[in-house]
Amino acid sequence: MLKKIFYSTFLSLFLVSSFNVSAAEEVNVYSYRQPFLVEPLFTKFTEQTGVKVNVVFAKNGMAERLEREGKYSPADILLTTDISRLVELRDKDLVQVVNSEVLNAAIPKQYHAQDNTWFALTTRVRNIYSAKRLGEIDINYEDLADPKYKDRICTRSGKHPYNVALVSAMISEHGEEYTLDWLKKFKANLARKPQGSDRGQVQAIHQNLCDISLGNSYYFGNMLKDEKQKVWADAVYINFPNQKNRGAHINISGVAMAKYAPNSKNAQMLMEFLVSKPAQQLYAETNMEYPVRADVEASELVASWGEFKADDLPLEAIAENRKTALKLIDQAQFDL
Amino acid sequence: MTSLVTSTQDDTSILLTIEKLSIKLQDKVILSSLDLRLNEGDILGLVGASGCGKTTLLNTIAGFVKVNEGTITLDGRILNSKLANNKDEINLPAEQRQVGMIFQDYALFPHLTVKENIAFGIAKLSKAKQTQQIDQLLHILKLTDYRDSYIHQLSGGQQQRVAIARALAPKPKLLLLDEPFSNIDARLRNELMVEIRLLLKEFKTTAIFVTHNKDEVFTFADKMAVMSQGQLLQFDQPSIVCQQPNSYQVADFLQLGSWLPCAVTTSLNTILATSLLGEFELASESAAAQQALTYLLVKPSQLILTTDLAENIIANAQVEYISMTEQGYHYHLQSLDTLPTDPPTQASHLAFTKLSLYSDNILNLKQKVRLDIKQENLLFFNKSMA
Amino acid sequence: MLVGGISASTQLFSHLWQTVLPTYLVNTLWLGLLVVLLALFFGVISAAIITQTNVFFKQQLRWLLLLPMAMPAYLVAYLYTDLFDYAGPVQRMLRSTFTWNSPADYWFFDIRTLPGASVMLALVLFPYIYMLSRGAFEQQDENLFRASRLLGLSAKKSFFKIALPLARPAIAVAASLVLMETLADFATVQYFAVNTLTTVIYDTWLGYGDIGAANALASILMLLILFAVLAEQRSRAGLRHQSNRPNLNKELIQLSLSQQIMASLFCWSLVVSGFLLPLALLINMALEYSDVEQLTGLLSIGINSLKMSVIAATIAVFIALILGLYQRLHSDKYAKIPQQISGFGYAIPGTVLAMAMLSTLGPLDHWLNDSAEFLGFTPPGLLLSGTIFAVVFALVVRFSAIANGTIISGIKQIPHSLDYAPATLGAKLNRSLIKVHLPLLKPAIVMAWLLVFVEAMKELPAVLILRPFNFETLSSKIYQLISDEMLEQGALGAILIVLFGLLPIVMLNKSEKKI
Repeated sequence: MLKKIFYSTFLSLFLVSSFNVSAAEEVNVYSYRQPFLVEPLFTKFTEQTGVKVNVVFAKNGMAERLEREGKYSPADILLTTDISRLVELRDKDLVQVVNSEVLNAAIPKQYHAQDNTWFALTTRVRNIYSAKRLGEIDINYEDLADPKYKDRICTRSGKHPYNVALVSAMISEHGEEYTLDWLKKFKANLARKPQGSDRGQVQAIHQNLCDISLGNSYYFGNMLKDEKQKVWADAVYINFPNQKNRGAHINISGVAMAKYAPNSKNAQMLMEFLVSKPAQQLYAETNMEYPVRADVEASELVASWGEFKADDLPLEAIAENRKTALKLIDQAQFDL
Repeated sequence: MTSLVTSTQDDTSILLTIEKLSIKLQDKVILSSLDLRLNEGDILGLVGASGCGKTTLLNTIAGFVKVNEGTITLDGRILNSKLANNKDEINLPAEQRQVGMIFQDYALFPHLTVKENIAFGIAKLSKAKQTQQIDQLLHILKLTDYRDSYIHQLSGGQQQRVAIARALAPKPKLLLLDEPFSNIDARLRNELMVEIRLLLKEFKTTAIFVTHNKDEVFTFADKMAVMSQGQLLQFDQPSIVCQQPNSYQVADFLQLGSWLPCAVTTSLNTILATSLLGEFELASESAAAQQALTYLLVKPSQLILTTDLAENIIANAQVEYISMTEQGYHYHLQSLDTLPTDPPTQASHLAFTKLSLYSDNILNLKQKVRLDIKQENLLFFNKSMA
Repeated sequence: MLVGGISASTQLFSHLWQTVLPTYLVNTLWLGLLVVLLALFFGVISAAIITQTNVFFKQQLRWLLLLPMAMPAYLVAYLYTDLFDYAGPVQRMLRSTFTWNSPADYWFFDIRTLPGASVMLALVLFPYIYMLSRGAFEQQDENLFRASRLLGLSAKKSFFKIALPLARPAIAVAASLVLMETLADFATVQYFAVNTLTTVIYDTWLGYGDIGAANALASILMLLILFAVLAEQRSRAGLRHQSNRPNLNKELIQLSLSQQIMASLFCWSLVVSGFLLPLALLINMALEYSDVEQLTGLLSIGINSLKMSVIAATIAVFIALILGLYQRLHSDKYAKIPQQISGFGYAIPGTVLAMAMLSTLGPLDHWLNDSAEFLGFTPPGLLLSGTIFAVVFALVVRFSAIANGTIISGIKQIPHSLDYAPATLGAKLNRSLIKVHLPLLKPAIVMAWLLVFVEAMKELPAVLILRPFNFETLSSKIYQLISDEMLEQGALGAILIVLFGLLPIVMLNKSEKKI
């Protein structure tokens, strides 16, 4: 009896196992962005256009995968966070130029590539969170190296793309030597070894393990929405750094079309959909990011954090310094 | 019941005393109220069919089996003492009993060398003392060359010698041997038994060894004990046990002869046992006389064979089976008058089927012969214990 | 170009060597050492208590001690961090009891450290050592202990002088298994921010984008593992002592009441902290956070996991059967080689394996597509590297050693005479294999299948890198939730993994009872 059940389940599982049979209209997405965020967008897209969206979610290794797949890659659309990753895709010749008036019209010039190889969809700030017990503070990224915060700062791994981008920006601003020194002093101020996620750092502030942490803007909004994490967020202020000088460090999430996209027409349709007003609103509401379109408002909650001055450093400069940044982070033994 | 204690020689003292020993394992009686006394320096051979409890008896003396009732005393020290319905109990742990054992598979420690195996039981002695004793044992047992070998590098006979050396090293008061020769090549066995017996005598070791082979007892032991169903049937010198088995079971187990059924009848104040091979007179007070049916133990030497049949020499048996042995031909003879039937009739229960006869005469299968019995030292036994 | 690539790699390598690599290497060695020592401490002692003493709840503890095997280490790590964090219930209670206010007021251990990670890994890996050393203790010849007792050693001393040395090969095998599992671990150390070689491989591959240096580092890791494997095989070669008279009825070490309580507590604390407590925490989470929507989402993911694991387990067992029977029927010395090679897969961490898969299956796919195009067909796409095939292939490579081991030990229990007996009765070889060997191997086959199935359910890095479109598994889902500190959403899925992990343990227990 058991044997029969075993064989039949096995057979049926094998038969339905997913050797992707191509549907008529579809578009394939490699995504670094998480399901909860993009799935509502794709559902809407399919509703509007009838094009089915297939996704593979990954945390790492998209470029490596595309490289190996080469011209037989099924990927059409690449969704990622962090400018460096987008530029890496282009530098490795894994994406193609998309000349779309819709895209160019919707996205401000500094938020898409000059050669139209990548397009930002949302922007986010690398904020500095501070414990409410410190009172309201005015803080610059440079202050993270200030000895007065000795043992009071928490951050995720220095090698996380968001931190690497910040270090790149620091290199652009101050040069390598200053940045290495800054990293070493920053490291000396850490309350604990870099670990966890941006949310985990806020939790640590709530736990009084530290007073200051680095974190992207949208996490604050998302934590406030989560029943468990709201208490953490309630313990901190969100600060926009360097307001009296160059402005806060900006990063983006973006999209590019794979070089060998088999469904390029659908892919362009999806890209254009992602910058459409309803999609941008969804981005703003579901993930508390700043929409890239100037004519779409940030969510009410995000807007309540106030206007801020953004660093106007060209995004591609951040990407250029990425490898140097990584080396400096290793040199400072930031994660050890 | 006759006393099972041997005719005590007063010049030697008793080393081991077992009284009323009862063992139950999983509600099965293994030993029931067993008594045994062993003199110092004696080697006792314990025989019995498998499952009779002989190995359990060894393991009990060694301290591996819980005693339900009874006492065991070794050289004045109580090893076990347990009375029925009494909670007070002495059960000396195995390591304090000063009892040595040689296991059937030797149980040598595979991770230790020969030397280390032997040293295992004398670790408390000084290193010099240890070395001296080990060297002596290695020498006596011709193992000097294998001092640093591991066990798996040795032959079966060598392994056994290591086991003996290891067991003797701590100078145990009593040595137990569990079927020590069963794994040895038949050709080597006799030689080895003689060798080990000499060794035990040299060390003046008191020993009990278990076997199911009576021949080993004759070669190896000073005393013999026959066990059956958890009891000692007979305990004596091997020669006495053979000449005077005290029960049907003992004679049967030791295969001292064949059985000839006899009907007991009384006529003219004499009690007669009538068999198909003739009549024998019974002493009126003998146990056999109380039964309707008794069995005569026919040793091969008691059979007289006549092949030349004549008018007055009537055949009473025929050859059923022939084999060759070193003592000449071995025949099984079957009674002629009636074949055994089921249920036995008055005549058929006297029929016999496998009377053993050794002879140099050449007989043919189904040949009819005349058998007679020498009327001396006749031993009659009743089948039931009671 | 090639030279440039190599020199770039060497440059990066020397940069890493000057900066972080030594620390990572030392971390890796420490982690391996600590986990193995802890697991030995937990495993050997509990096995000794269960087999050698009259401890309380012996019958229950005997199988309860196997349960932590069902817990993935990264789950336990997350749950304990939650429990012992500053904001966790334990510290909260302490603070309210002693009216402390801030971390400065008292000392509390930090779980997110190398020792913390070691304890977590050891808590779920010690059952390997427990299982194998328990087996070794129970298989030892009863007479060896009797001999030792009669030579004047107490039961306790006999354990140390006889049982322990004789069990050493089995314990060494188990320890090397634990070491391999530790070196292959990715999620736990990452969550605890303990940087090991696995981390640096990830970094160089995906951060620096330098596959050459990543490969070089992976080779270092493989070298470490090779040592472990060789050590294991050497000790296995010495594994001779086995008895046909298992000492199940042998005399136990009689513990005093306080010793009994201590021993019992030791075992129970392992069971509780390695299994019962994490499970309770998971169930609590699931009860608090789960809703129907989540359940249906998890269901489809669960089916993915099942599908993947069932296929991988079936293929692995099939291959193991072929290799095992081939080896049995061909007694030449080369017959062992395929099976030995396949054994190495287990030692390859999932990350490294996934990298290797991509670089072998990728070109193969290209070749397939190119030839299809050349022949005038539409290119079929990435048949191998872009489908569940890649995942299953990786899982089979990784876990066939487990299947092999189980099947081979099953085959060894079939007497050699049975290889020939059917022939004397006129049966052909393949019929005798089907009619005689396979039925006799059934328990081993079921066991091997279940073990691979469970490992496949838990496997993370390979799945993470190789999975195709729209393919999420329970483990990858849980890992993602964990990295966002949101396991609550996946508690049900985690419970599913644990429950599946219990299957082989229940089987193991059942088959043991039959004997």
